[in-house]
Amino acid sequence: MTDILATLSRDRIFYLFVAPFAALTILFGVWPILLSIQVSFTASATALRPNPTYVGLANYVAVLADPIFLASLGRTLLYTLLSVVANLAFALGFAILLDSRLLKRGSLFFRLAIFLPVITPDVAGYVVWRWLYDRSFGALNAFLTMVGLPPFGGLSSFDTAMLAILIAELWHHAGFYMIIFLANLSIRDRALEEAAHLDGATTWQRWRYVILPQLRPALVINSVYALIQFLKTFTVVVVMTKGGPNDQTNFVSYYAYQLFDQARYGEATAMATILFAIVIGLSLTAYRLGDREPGQ
Amino acid sequence: MNDDIRPNRLLQALAYGVAIGTSLLFLYPYWWMLVSAFRPTRNILSAPLRPWPETLNFQIFSEIGRIGGVDLSTYVVNSLVITTLSTALGVIVTALGAYALVRRPKAPGFSLVRYGFLVTIMYPYMLLVIPVYLVMFKLGLLGSYAGIILFLALGPLQFFLFEQFFRKIPNEVIEAAVIDGASEWQILTRVVLPMAAPITATVAMITFLLNWAQWFPIMVISRSPDTYTLPVALLSMNSELGSNFQGIMALAVLTTLPVALLFLFAQKRVMEGMAAGAVKG
Repeated sequence: MTDILATLSRDRIFYLFVAPFAALTILFGVWPILLSIQVSFTASATALRPNPTYVGLANYVAVLADPIFLASLGRTLLYTLLSVVANLAFALGFAILLDSRLLKRGSLFFRLAIFLPVITPDVAGYVVWRWLYDRSFGALNAFLTMVGLPPFGGLSSFDTAMLAILIAELWHHAGFYMIIFLANLSIRDRALEEAAHLDGATTWQRWRYVILPQLRPALVINSVYALIQFLKTFTVVVVMTKGGPNDQTNFVSYYAYQLFDQARYGEATAMATILFAIVIGLSLTAYRLGDREPGQ
Repeated sequence: MNDDIRPNRLLQALAYGVAIGTSLLFLYPYWWMLVSAFRPTRNILSAPLRPWPETLNFQIFSEIGRIGGVDLSTYVVNSLVITTLSTALGVIVTALGAYALVRRPKAPGFSLVRYGFLVTIMYPYMLLVIPVYLVMFKLGLLGSYAGIILFLALGPLQFFLFEQFFRKIPNEVIEAAVIDGASEWQILTRVVLPMAAPITATVAMITFLLNWAQWFPIMVISRSPDTYTLPVALLSMNSELGSNFQGIMALAVLTTLPVALLFLFAQKRVMEGMAAGAVKG
């Protein structure tokens, strides 16, 4: 006990340093999360009263029995899978291209062009994309018509809405994954490649067996980041589709927000908790898979 | 690397073709936005692909002088004030917090703070904002600049960058100062902070860019458009029926241009910083 007191008094200046950080973390992180979990066990109509009515797991049962939620969850997972693969493939491909000896000049320009959307306010970027896809204003369909191709349904067609927002989100996010691959490529051991080359390895073999294994850290980090990123897809839906057409882009974050807007607090927070559990579960799985692979 | 395979000419041309083509596709939305901001809506309707405006007319910026009953200048000032203050506060609070957590990882309670923070950043951000509304209500901060600025102050990238930097300071440096009889306050202000100047500049720059783009917490914490920033104003203008297309593009330009220029000015710092902050996470 005295030991602890002695430590506390010796380290009191560090407690002073950490206090504002801890206060903000608790006020705007831990407290709202706990509040959200608490609200998920109460009846919506009483959720905001001082003495809410606790209903146990009723909200979770209602959410898991809600066909709109289940469909929304399915589409969220599908969209996440497609987005993670598309973004990582694009980012890795472009990073390899920029890193290769084929491009002697202009590498900085290419990098800036792909990264600029990352720091562009997402609302502004998606607003522009929304209108690019527009049937009457949009440049995209005007271009397709000009070159004699069939028009792209974009955001208004059930079949293409998900693809349309996937492209817009790839534009916004892929540059971030690209610079992580580039950072990883720049610290790789080039002597290994030379050795492989002397041993007669083909270009493909060098990539597959020498370079790709060294990119594992970037692959793991990017997979986890992208998973978290796309599971919570929200802004692009608010700006571009409002969940439509016909619920095709009504992902879990957006659906939960709509319920919140209709004062269905209990179900909205139950959904938030479920999504939180999925995010944590999938991220940990991705880390595990990344760590377990042999050959490092 | 000494390589005896000379890059194939054809392959090289192909690589340049792909790189230039993709880059131009990524940049085209900016060009289209900029051109559309200077073209009357009916002209865009008749020729969406026109590569430059008919005339260079800045009239539209006075036409969107009031949006949603609030002056455009209010949104601009809000954006500048909220972004600058939340960045300054965030940098100071995060630097001090990360420093304390790195120097005394075993102090009672410190690992709880760290875990609390890590759990917070794992929580789906958009769904965190909803209960934050309730917290702001309880704290009486709803509709206030203070509430918005306090909420925007913390972010994962900022924390990881500082944590990573402080971990790399050699123990000997600090021990030498202790032996010389320096207090912890003196160690911080005379030894650590001077070393941390470059990383602080990087974090400040990145935080500014990220906070400028924020919209959802600002919309939720606000009680009226009086505390909206440019992205929030842009979103509400875009959601209106019978949209003023040219006005939307002009507002998008105003929202994008400041951070795009800032980024181009500090691109190396920003890209290296964001990669480093992510690799730690």
